[in-house]
Amino acid sequence: GGKSAGLGIDEEVEVTRKPRAPRVKLDEHRLLSAAGIPKLRKKARDHLKFKGKGHEYADASRLLAFYQLWLDDLFPKARFLDALAMVEKMGHKKMMQSARMAWIDEGKPHSSSG
Amino acid sequence: ADGKRDVVDPEVRAYVSSLVTALGGSGADEDGRYVLGDDALACLRDLKKWLKLYDEKANRLDVARCLAESNLVGGDLLQILAAWPENATDDRLKSKIALACLELLIPLTWPIDKNQKEMTVNHHRHVPYLEIAQLGYKRSIINFDGARILHTAVRCALPSMAEAMGDRSTRDEGIIKLLLYFVRNIAMIAPPPNVQYEGDEADISRSATIDAFDYQDILHLLLTVSSTIGEDFNTQDVVVLDILFYLIKGVDIEKLFLDEKAADNSKMDELVRLRKKEAAMLRGYQNNAPTRHNRFGAMAWLQREDAKRTTISGQAAVTDSTRGLAKMDATKKFKPPRRALKGDNGPMDFDTPVPLSVQATKHLRSFVEEFLDSGFNPLFNHIRKAIDREAERVLEYHPRQFFYLISWFLEAERVRRRNKKSSKGQKNAAQQEVDSYSLVASVLNQEMFVTLNRAMDFSFENKSWQDLSAAMKCFTQILLTVQDMSESPLEDDQEIAENILNRIFYEETTHDRVANITRSYKDQGFGYLDASTELSHNYLRILEQYSKQNLDLQVRSRRRVRKKKKAARAAGQDEADDNIVDESEGEDAARAERTSHERKFDFKRFAARFVSQGCVDTFVTFTAYYNDLRPAQLKRAHRFFYRVAFKQEMSVMLFRVDIIALFYKMIKGPEGLDSQSSSYKEWDDFVKQILKRCTRKIQERPELVVEMLFSKINSTAHYLEYGYEKQTVTTK
Repeated sequence: GGKSAGLGIDEEVEVTRKPRAPRVKLDEHRLLSAAGIPKLRKKARDHLKFKGKGHEYADASRLLAFYQLWLDDLFPKARFLDALAMVEKMGHKKMMQSARMAWIDEGKPHSSSG
Repeated sequence: ADGKRDVVDPEVRAYVSSLVTALGGSGADEDGRYVLGDDALACLRDLKKWLKLYDEKANRLDVARCLAESNLVGGDLLQILAAWPENATDDRLKSKIALACLELLIPLTWPIDKNQKEMTVNHHRHVPYLEIAQLGYKRSIINFDGARILHTAVRCALPSMAEAMGDRSTRDEGIIKLLLYFVRNIAMIAPPPNVQYEGDEADISRSATIDAFDYQDILHLLLTVSSTIGEDFNTQDVVVLDILFYLIKGVDIEKLFLDEKAADNSKMDELVRLRKKEAAMLRGYQNNAPTRHNRFGAMAWLQREDAKRTTISGQAAVTDSTRGLAKMDATKKFKPPRRALKGDNGPMDFDTPVPLSVQATKHLRSFVEEFLDSGFNPLFNHIRKAIDREAERVLEYHPRQFFYLISWFLEAERVRRRNKKSSKGQKNAAQQEVDSYSLVASVLNQEMFVTLNRAMDFSFENKSWQDLSAAMKCFTQILLTVQDMSESPLEDDQEIAENILNRIFYEETTHDRVANITRSYKDQGFGYLDASTELSHNYLRILEQYSKQNLDLQVRSRRRVRKKKKAARAAGQDEADDNIVDESEGEDAARAERTSHERKFDFKRFAARFVSQGCVDTFVTFTAYYNDLRPAQLKRAHRFFYRVAFKQEMSVMLFRVDIIALFYKMIKGPEGLDSQSSSYKEWDDFVKQILKRCTRKIQERPELVVEMLFSKINSTAHYLEYGYEKQTVTTK
């Protein structure tokens, strides 16, 4: 193999595969992170306004766009309805359920007085 | 054969084809008539042996394949049967030969079971070929020129059928069975799904089958056997059930009972309706279509927070932000894994609609009417007993056919009555003569309810969804029939109906079952979804009506009972335990008031079972098909949501983003409901109401913004709806 050594044909080519980038998953951790539901709540408080009577469909369209843009930020690759279904599924997890309970309790009048 | 490697053992092929050749043939010197070979009967018997001892024993399909390739059916068997003239029925040799032909036709037309685990390579090789071959058999049998093949088959069995049931030999019974299975096979053969039949579909369609059955007196045969079952026939009931199933499954009953002129009109109407639907669809597209050519290249961006931008191409996005968002969504490619629907598309599928020709409609309608008049009660009563007894001849699939057929015929009876009523009303209202419901009484008795309930429980537990679907359809039609009965002018009918309703009303296990089924839909397919939503809709509706039943109706019914008792007492056959004999009118009224109050409460409690997320989800899945639903189906969904939101006052259950998105899309599109359609208005009103409540609720209770994403458990929903915890009984 001396002759062809200069061409490097005989050298073993090392095949190293880069580990695949971990797939982004829409799981309860992502949902509970700052970009998840906490952001949704904040945005709702600051930006979600309705016109009310006579503007039902316009209001609904605004509401749906609100959720769609939030989900697009959180998990850009899934379509709106698919992402909704995934989030709904997460809602059955223990962690999510206790978080949901806490958010609801926050809204209750007596919770502040303790 | 022709030099290429053969798929069948050449020796087998040689034997079989020599037998086929020896059977007979047509020659020029006989004017093209078919002439039997010298030993034709022996040849037929040998062929039968080959099928039995080679194909069946060794579990192969080689002989069947050879016979299909050699055109035995069209070229020989049918020719031989056709050459058996009516006046030679007594000729013993000829009738023996005819019977031998029939004996060969049965295995050749027998349905091929493809789901067996023991299917071999050999099966996979032959089955597609044989399936096509069977279509050819059916075509040549029902369209044979110059002779009625099916009728000839009946003639083979006539002597045996003429014997009294008790006097028949085993051979007689066998021959009758042979005939009925032959008819069953012919009725059953249909192009398998995903196979393009190369011949003319019209030759083997349902219409062609029905026309042939009518012309060749098979419908008569079916009527005779089913109306005399229990007297002249006994074990044949399940085969008749089989035949009826393949004859009528998927046939639209409303269309069946339209008269010819109305049918013409309805075809025109249908054309007009479809054109309108198409126009509405195009209108929908045109609203969103670009106004310039496709390379115009407009580009828009959506300004998002954090100085982020999303770019969207196409002019649509420039003008309308909703469409921009839709476009943004449509460009995404990721699809989460999804499970396929589990519906049935095999031969037992009854959800695929089957169109009929005008001629076939006429034949089938008269058959159905005659069957209702004479065959319905004896046949279904007989089979119900066989099922209850778990008779050996009852196979796993028979209950499904049984329940499906009952539902089908009950609906047919209801439509027939409605038509009769309206046509009589036009002619002469005074001379109206009323028929009682005794024609279908055999499926309205207590035994039937027991069988049906047991079947529903069993199939629900065992997840046999198609069986459950058939049983639900049956239950729905029984409910509707009972409701019609309660409005009958005949007192006897009213009384029976009232008793049945009364029993159903207080049967908690049935309430639970219906609610459980509705709650637990999960990719069982559209047919199942349709059946379960239809059942729960009608069940709720009829029980609600019963709970509201007005007072004087109850007073009247009590009075009726009292009158009867009095009459019985007068006749001297009083019983010790009657307790309502001596009440006065006033007491009747008071008692009726109390009952109706209790019933209202009971109903409210019962209806609350349907306000679960599971039931809502099932109806949401159903409603998502809105563009393919008939007005009655849309109404069903509308009533359900209306009940949840306004009657039960739990609109919170509908406040979930995907549900709101669905409702919004139905009205505002793209691809929304046709705004010209009859359903649009009530949906528009309803959706507007829901949206109004939803936005108001979000402002009232900001925590709903999060809960809009999720299914809610009842306590959460109750808090969100009313603002306080549900009061539960606590004693501390």
